[in-house]
Amino acid sequence: MLELDNVSVTFNAGTSNEVRALKEVSLSVEEGDFVTVIGSNGAGKSTLFGVIAGAATADSGQIHLGGHNITHWPEYKRSQVIGRVFQDPRLGTCPGLTIRENLSLAAIHGRRLGLRRDVKKDQEQWFRDELERQQLGLEERLDTDVALLSGGQRQSITLIMATLVKPRLLLLDEHTAALDPRAAEQIITLTRDLADRHEMSTVMITHSMQQACDLGSRVIMMHQGEIVFDISGKERYQLTPADLIDRFHSLEDAELSDAQILGQTGSFSQKDLTALARRSSRNR
Amino acid sequence: MSSQASTARQGSDSLASRHSFLLRGLLLIIVVGVVMSLGNVNIGAIGQGLGYALAGVCVFITYRILGFVDLTVDGAFPIGGAVCAILIVNGASPEVALLVAFVFGALTGLATALVDILFKIEGLLASIIVITGAYTVTLRIMAGRSNIPLLGQETLISRHSRPFRAWLVEQFGDGLKRQSTNLLEIILFGGVVIVVLAILYWFMRSEFGLAVRATGKNPQMVRATGINHYVMIALGLMVANGLAGLSGSLVVQQFGFADVSLGFGLIVRGLAAVIIGEVLLRPKSTGQLLIAAVAGMLVFDISRAWIFSALDLPTTDIQLVSALVVLAALGTPRLYERYKAYRQRFANTR
Repeated sequence: MLELDNVSVTFNAGTSNEVRALKEVSLSVEEGDFVTVIGSNGAGKSTLFGVIAGAATADSGQIHLGGHNITHWPEYKRSQVIGRVFQDPRLGTCPGLTIRENLSLAAIHGRRLGLRRDVKKDQEQWFRDELERQQLGLEERLDTDVALLSGGQRQSITLIMATLVKPRLLLLDEHTAALDPRAAEQIITLTRDLADRHEMSTVMITHSMQQACDLGSRVIMMHQGEIVFDISGKERYQLTPADLIDRFHSLEDAELSDAQILGQTGSFSQKDLTALARRSSRNR
Repeated sequence: MSSQASTARQGSDSLASRHSFLLRGLLLIIVVGVVMSLGNVNIGAIGQGLGYALAGVCVFITYRILGFVDLTVDGAFPIGGAVCAILIVNGASPEVALLVAFVFGALTGLATALVDILFKIEGLLASIIVITGAYTVTLRIMAGRSNIPLLGQETLISRHSRPFRAWLVEQFGDGLKRQSTNLLEIILFGGVVIVVLAILYWFMRSEFGLAVRATGKNPQMVRATGINHYVMIALGLMVANGLAGLSGSLVVQQFGFADVSLGFGLIVRGLAAVIIGEVLLRPKSTGQLLIAAVAGMLVFDISRAWIFSALDLPTTDIQLVSALVVLAALGTPRLYERYKAYRQRFANTR
């Protein structure tokens, strides 16, 4: 369904700040898969999402989605088949517009815009049903400006908007990270419900090892722009948060021993040292 | 439980605010009426305000809906006026001139959008580049002349002025004869403004309009919905500056001449209209916001005319008076906020 074939992304290419955010990553997500992506800061998770959604461009490699080569599609065109929820609850909904208007805009998803009325009467029941499933009481507040809602409420509306017209792929970028624990719990429940109900392919970035083990059928761990673990099937079901944390530490230990070896052989330049220091401080 | 309570509160809020807009509007009409009659303000100010009203709506769309200060109005307005004058001089009907002026205004808006989108130059700067070039375009349209008089030509006003005056004298006697042109302007321009507002209201509540409104608030989300937000910015700028061109064409027909410097300082005037309308009427919905922009322009023109008649100033002082009225409109709400904050601090320390 989604195929990444040796995709590389480099930021600030040719300057001293050059960052190889993705290094020839290949990934294949099947129809209906729910994949969780974990990894430390700077591991390339968000760049992976960016390159799939079209916010970042690939230097090399190909991206296929549902039989189309989308490598050179602009971001808005990819969005017609990809639903996205961002970390910042303010990004997914439009302040100044009501819940009804936001949902109406999402309902246009993938169609051509027309001069029909923006808010359609026959869609009201549809919106109400979707909102009622969340049990937040928002179905009674369709005409409230979303700017007046809490982060959790806005995020749950974003989730509905992203899946209102079933996308080929749903990308969730740490969508509970900016919420309080209770709201985060509600959003996770809603996410599971939506993914089960629509049976759509979902990729979710998370910082929570618990979430990575609770949700989905496959875990990917990224490190320094590469996919270092890809756990699915039987192994995935036996996975615990503690296992994941162990694997994290083993990665960092490996990095440390690299540094020690380099240090012993004396082939350590000042540039390497600062790069290492920066990298390990990022990982902490 | 709590969500139910807040729903109820919200319900009564929206009910009250709907009435408050109406009440504020009525109060404003009464106050303006009293000021005009006591201050001996000529009703010509209303006609002039209506002529410029759509330029105010243009600024409202760019400033409040698309979310940046777009100076293109300063260029689209005289271009609309120039096109209108040339067409009328060459025998076109005033209605055709209005429509073509709209199209040329829209093209000016498109120019700004293209500079913004293709070269990634931010809106304010893009519009400065466009108005600089638009000055020459205006002169070219006017065949190198800086001023085209419409004396003796058929305009919206002149076509109806004689029969209207006859009808007025027949109905109300000679008392209103002196004001006949002013009254005619109010009726004709009022009609044009109402029709245009109705069309704009319908557009703003269409799917396109919704996407344009959302683009100004959250372009990222519009992109994530699968809509090319650049197209929406271009569409918004075209509609807005089309209205500026239309307004320029109305004003040219009203003044009886087109001039290359007609758009000078128009952006400030438009901003003043938007702010005055918002402060006085506190509009909530899209329709109310559009009406408030028009009302703001009327209040601006009337208060300026009142200052002129009260202080007995020469007409050459017009730009300074305009600037001061705008300053008052923009500054008063901010001064009030500071005064409130000051009082708050005072209350806390006591």
